[in-house]
Amino acid sequence: MLDPKTRDLLLAARNRARQRGLNAEFSLHRERSGLIRLGNSAVALSTHEELTRLDVSVQDGRKVGSFGILADVTSAEQLAEALHQAEENCAAALPKDYDPIFAEIQETTDDERGFDPALETLSAQAKTDLCARVIKTLAPHGNYDFSGSWSTGSVELYHVTTANDNESYRRLTDGRMVIVLKEQNKKWELQVERSQTRAGAFTADDIIAEFDRLLPIYESQPGFKTQVGRQRVLFGPQAIAALLQLSVWSGLHGRGWEEGRAFTSGKQPGEKIFSELINISDDPDNPLTFSMPFDFNGHRRRRFVAVEKGVFKALFYDSQTAAKYGRKPTGHDLSAWDLVLEPGSGPAGLEAALRLAGDALYIPHLHYIHMPDPSKGLFTGSSRFNAMRIQDGRFVSPILSSRVTDAIPTVLSNVVALSSRAVCQNESATYDRRAPEAMSVPEWLLCDNVRISDVADSF
Amino acid sequence: MTREVDKVTSAVEAGLDRMLESGCSFADARFYSEDRTRRITIYDGNLEGNSSNLEQGIGIRVLFQGAVGFAATANLDAVSACFDRALDNARAAARLLGFPRDMGKAQPAHGEYSPPVRQDPFDIPLTEHIALLKQIDDRLKHPAVAHRYVTSLYQRRRVFYWNTEGTGVSRVSSNIFATMTVMAPDKDGRTQRRSHNLNSNGSGSRGFEWLADPNSFAGHAERIRQELAEIIAAEPMTPAKRDVILLPGQGHLQVHETIGHPLELDRILGYELSFAGGSHVRPSDIGTLRYGSDKLNARAMLVENSPGTFGFDDEGTPQPDYLLIDKGILVNVLCSRIDLGEANAKAGREVVKRSGGAARAAGFYKTPIDRMTNVCIDPGADGNLDDIIKATENGVILDMPVSWSIGSNREHFHFGCEIAWEVKDGRRTRVLRNPTYQGHTLEFYNSLDMVGDRSTWRLIQVPNCGKGEPNQIMEVGHGVPVMRFRNVQTGEKE
Repeated sequence: MLDPKTRDLLLAARNRARQRGLNAEFSLHRERSGLIRLGNSAVALSTHEELTRLDVSVQDGRKVGSFGILADVTSAEQLAEALHQAEENCAAALPKDYDPIFAEIQETTDDERGFDPALETLSAQAKTDLCARVIKTLAPHGNYDFSGSWSTGSVELYHVTTANDNESYRRLTDGRMVIVLKEQNKKWELQVERSQTRAGAFTADDIIAEFDRLLPIYESQPGFKTQVGRQRVLFGPQAIAALLQLSVWSGLHGRGWEEGRAFTSGKQPGEKIFSELINISDDPDNPLTFSMPFDFNGHRRRRFVAVEKGVFKALFYDSQTAAKYGRKPTGHDLSAWDLVLEPGSGPAGLEAALRLAGDALYIPHLHYIHMPDPSKGLFTGSSRFNAMRIQDGRFVSPILSSRVTDAIPTVLSNVVALSSRAVCQNESATYDRRAPEAMSVPEWLLCDNVRISDVADSF
Repeated sequence: MTREVDKVTSAVEAGLDRMLESGCSFADARFYSEDRTRRITIYDGNLEGNSSNLEQGIGIRVLFQGAVGFAATANLDAVSACFDRALDNARAAARLLGFPRDMGKAQPAHGEYSPPVRQDPFDIPLTEHIALLKQIDDRLKHPAVAHRYVTSLYQRRRVFYWNTEGTGVSRVSSNIFATMTVMAPDKDGRTQRRSHNLNSNGSGSRGFEWLADPNSFAGHAERIRQELAEIIAAEPMTPAKRDVILLPGQGHLQVHETIGHPLELDRILGYELSFAGGSHVRPSDIGTLRYGSDKLNARAMLVENSPGTFGFDDEGTPQPDYLLIDKGILVNVLCSRIDLGEANAKAGREVVKRSGGAARAAGFYKTPIDRMTNVCIDPGADGNLDDIIKATENGVILDMPVSWSIGSNREHFHFGCEIAWEVKDGRRTRVLRNPTYQGHTLEFYNSLDMVGDRSTWRLIQVPNCGKGEPNQIMEVGHGVPVMRFRNVQTGEKE
């Protein structure tokens, strides 16, 4: 549970607001973060931040205003001032043309299942030593430059509103480590990434072994410049997670659909939109995600199926969109979801996938992905780390930077197979506040007729 | 406020002395006594965003045995402990040291900076802000417009900076960003949009009076509504190689992504490799690389009215004005103090002489990194937009980004825009929808053959440049004229 002093302050503020007849909600976000950044085979930066943010929102009928503070939130005066600012913003607001839904915590929760004190306090020294071992083992074998980052920390989320006496509290730890190995003359880049909820989730030997699996092809073969046009592509976890996010953002969110800006607009639940191999849900019970049990509007989150066997089943609604369009909120007032692309029936393991693929491109990452046209699901992004040409069921060479420009519905309709093994893909935001997010995705996704729109002369 | 600043100043001075005694070669502190924002968004007539935010705290950076440690806290009673934490972090980093980081030598700086502001937006009643945006929203309303969006963002920061060399400077930042957008489906059901951002000719004050001036912002409502009507009735762009004429609304992002980012020294040296990416530029390219045609002159410019003007950077360096690309040749980069030695060592000669005043942090809890300031293109001598159109046989005029995707080393790019006007035989003929173009950076800038004069130059504000890990969102400015590039791949090929 939140430390008693802060909790008492917040409950007192809530009670004062209630006594004054205000509809107010208080959300506290407290993070302890530590990060090392690698650059040029050294620790380029080592940081530590302890930050507390408080967001206060006030609703008066159809008027809403909010105020946020990132400071040392330790006094009743500060809380009173934050409430006053939110109240003033609300008073100045224009009424909406619909009835906004006021946040109501559905049940009291105190959830620390995802908290590991050893990960919260994992030292910069321990991180440095593991990275040093990786670098010192691999560096003698080539002209390599190592970069990357390793962020670990904890987040406390506490939420109360004047609607009832319930309190929602969650404390969890998370970590994400990325090491990039760049060959300094040939300029290719390999990446190994790890996600963690507990300390000791991986070792230096794990990282070294993964680089060792990738290095021989990159070291022995020049970059292959593929042809522009439609090709068979084997996507890896990061690229699959990007496609999954884009599917949700541009096709399965209620706001876009209601306003005719989604690639599903004009379609109704029950219509087929993707290959029957595609199943998409948001599932806080999935152990590969960070499992957010409640959203910021107090809704209990449960498994929510959006696409089943390629058929459009339902849309995700945040409370604002739901209120505007007369729908029921689905528990999606939060920045970090628990998205799941269900695994398929394809063989587990990359080697089996290569044999199945035959001749194809392996694109595990899509760099700088963007959507020129969300209403058609059109996206573009380029290959980067670990991308290879597959020929006769095996990796034969790295590929030069290749741009994929295609539509989400097209790509996810041309699915040949998905791995039967699910993996965690950590997508935690590094913008703004610490927000652990991970998706469960198949370890590979094989698609036909993916459009390569441009190929560079470099990696 | 003064008492609070005095208290922090005392704690910082003691901490800086202690860091030197502990063996640090350098330490600095940034105190954000006030970092305030206000966001207002009206979407389809509803006030959907109405929030304000306040941040306050201190960030400490120390250099110990060539390694950097950083710590931040909002607890102003814990400044001393924050110094200790930063030193611990630097000590840990020193266990895996590469090229020792070095701040070099600099004369202590003293001074204050504040931008030209007549009416501080935070002194204006919120009701007045909302009323202004609502009036604009009303002007955007039309049966043919499916959705409309008006938003404003105000920022005010007071930052105090000190370091172990005796520098003590302070600055106030005051920014206003505003955007209006209208959207409607075209005959294929694709959502089209047209928008306008608050921009300037680089001069004048940047207070609320700027936004409230109808010529600056509100007066564009009818134009974008009309242009949206033309877009939804237009034919889609067919793929072809053509000349591309970029208006500043698009040209600024082209410059941002393919000149600004690749010329950040930390990217060039590989410090951003694992996240944002690297650069096709090598340290040894500085002074020799032909980046573009003779028509290309790019500079980190001091502009009176820009979010990329701040007086002193987050290392206390007074902001300079200098050329980055001189008649097509790369001559300098965007840099702070900390990487100069490494860049020169890697180049094998002195390629960067002094800090470009580009060390910037997005908040007290972020460490300074190399950022863009005002990366601008000098106006040319090829006349105004009409002159450039008259000289174009087969081309398109492009404005405002819809999407952008850039190679990890900034060597290639793909942009989608809101609107294109076809140019045939020296005449603007018709509007085209779904315009896109792509290219390779050096080839593209070497195809630059016409640069518009000062009348075509606009200072475009960017409120959301993302870089770094943890990611930092920074405000920058880009002054660009109209530019013509030859024989560019446009449209989507199958």
